[in-house]
Amino acid sequence: MIDSFPFDSWEDVTTTFWTFGPEDSTGTYVLTVLGIILMVAAIVYWVWLENKKLNAQAELLRGGGVLPPASPTAPGPGFEEPPLAGPSTDPGP
Amino acid sequence: MTSSLASVLSALLAQAPTPEELQEQINLDSLVLLEVFYFFTVVIMWLIHVGFMAYEAGVARRKNIMSTAMKNILTIAVVTPSFYYFGWYIYGCFEHGGPAEGHAGPAEFPGFCGLTAPWSAGMGGNLESTLTGHLSLVFFLAFLLFSWTTASIMSGALIERVRLSAYLILAVVLGSAVWIMDAAWGWSSGGWLTTNYGFHDSIASLVVHGVAGAFALGVLLNLGPRIGKFDREGRARAFRPHNTHLTLMGLMLIFTGFYGFYAACLFIQSTVFPGWLNIYLSPTTLGTIAMVITFGFAGGFTGGWIASKGDPFWTLSGGLAGVISVSAGADVYHPSLGYLLAASGGMLAVWSGGYIEKRLRVDDAVGAVAVHGVCGFYGVFLVGIFAGGFPTGVNNVPVSFGGQLMGILTFFPLAFLPGFIISWLLKKANLLRVPAEVELEGMDMAEFQQDFFPEFERVPETVVLPTGEEVEAGPVLLDSYAQANGRGSPETAGRRR
Repeated sequence: MIDSFPFDSWEDVTTTFWTFGPEDSTGTYVLTVLGIILMVAAIVYWVWLENKKLNAQAELLRGGGVLPPASPTAPGPGFEEPPLAGPSTDPGP
Repeated sequence: MTSSLASVLSALLAQAPTPEELQEQINLDSLVLLEVFYFFTVVIMWLIHVGFMAYEAGVARRKNIMSTAMKNILTIAVVTPSFYYFGWYIYGCFEHGGPAEGHAGPAEFPGFCGLTAPWSAGMGGNLESTLTGHLSLVFFLAFLLFSWTTASIMSGALIERVRLSAYLILAVVLGSAVWIMDAAWGWSSGGWLTTNYGFHDSIASLVVHGVAGAFALGVLLNLGPRIGKFDREGRARAFRPHNTHLTLMGLMLIFTGFYGFYAACLFIQSTVFPGWLNIYLSPTTLGTIAMVITFGFAGGFTGGWIASKGDPFWTLSGGLAGVISVSAGADVYHPSLGYLLAASGGMLAVWSGGYIEKRLRVDDAVGAVAVHGVCGFYGVFLVGIFAGGFPTGVNNVPVSFGGQLMGILTFFPLAFLPGFIISWLLKKANLLRVPAEVELEGMDMAEFQQDFFPEFERVPETVVLPTGEEVEAGPVLLDSYAQANGRGSPETAGRRR
């Protein structure tokens, strides 16, 4: 353990603020607000991203006049992203 | 010799714990037992969600497998924080209808309103060796798993055409607000339905299953059927599950997880006879409810098998329906009564599923409204008949048919209306359903840009006509697409159904 100045007092302040010790503290209020912001932002992002993907693919299908229920079409150019690592890089047959 | 023996004995007695120390040790052991018990119910209940994912992904056609599975996975991502920030507070503070006055509730269970806010001592790590200390977290987790379950019940009904993001919004509303409000009212010892009317729904026939089914029905009315589900005369066609084995395995996993669900609905009070309490703090035992769930499965399978004339999907769904039908009274029923009532519930699910699809023309892809919704309400109805007069809760208010009816009349609109209204708003914003062209091609290509069985040859999709004939789906689906599109352009097809 580092016991030289100023780490001890800094540790006390930090743990009081961020960890589970006291309830109804500034730290717990801040964490709650940050968590709610992340939760809401994630849902909004899901809505936006999915809307973009679906509209791009629907436009592609309409534009090509291709509507075969059992023949997948490659994703359209309206949603280009670099491939991720792992299985997502496999484009399939 | 005698004196040395006496000195040894006196030395031992000097080290022996006092009665007060023993009592303290017993209390601590009791608390640890309680915490461990709830922890493992949570672990077992995870299987419910593994099961829902397998169940629904198996029912989906090949082109929609991953979009179906992702709904179940992301349920956890959205319901967990929303239940933490809002849902648990609703349960703790809305027992009397609206928010409780003051948030510093008594330290005992119940009346823990003050410990349910996310910044309170009850919602973070807490080393106090009391019920409201570190134990409140495992209570929270058990209820969180119930919340996931309500959302997962809805998800199966909507597959193959609902947007993932729309489902997630609906899951938050159902899992973190609607169901937990009804739990505060009728599934807690201090809820107004419990204390005023003796409402009895011990293992959540209605407060989890029925409410989720009613909410799903409200959503389905706005979502509409999958393209090609009904012919021009309104007769139902059937889509083949891409993997029935996976679906049946999923159901078996759900059944396994249900034992954890059942156990989590009890409290341990290990220092007071008989050691177990139901959610209303009335005495029961773990063995009682375990027997009823087991006989419920037996009766439900039997009823489902009889009513469906041996259909595998409905035989297993009958098992689930049977258990849901007897859950409300599982703390008091005799096993034979559970067996008989569950058989009727299994049959009811098959018949009501057929009615909902063929008469009401509602496309519920997995029969969730019938199995969970209808049988959930049926279970509470049965308690009013077969457990009438049984004292419920700390006030010992007797169960009555009127009290059960009060719960039914309260919870149906509480569940149905939010589902209908929120989905209607999403529909108006064109955010509820995927575009028709994407639905025809399959959602996996649009959502994830890949086929999730790339090494398997893609065979033509089939559909079963109302006559029982199985034909290639392509022409049927395109005809339905054109029918839905009318004389308009393809661009409007997704909005017109």
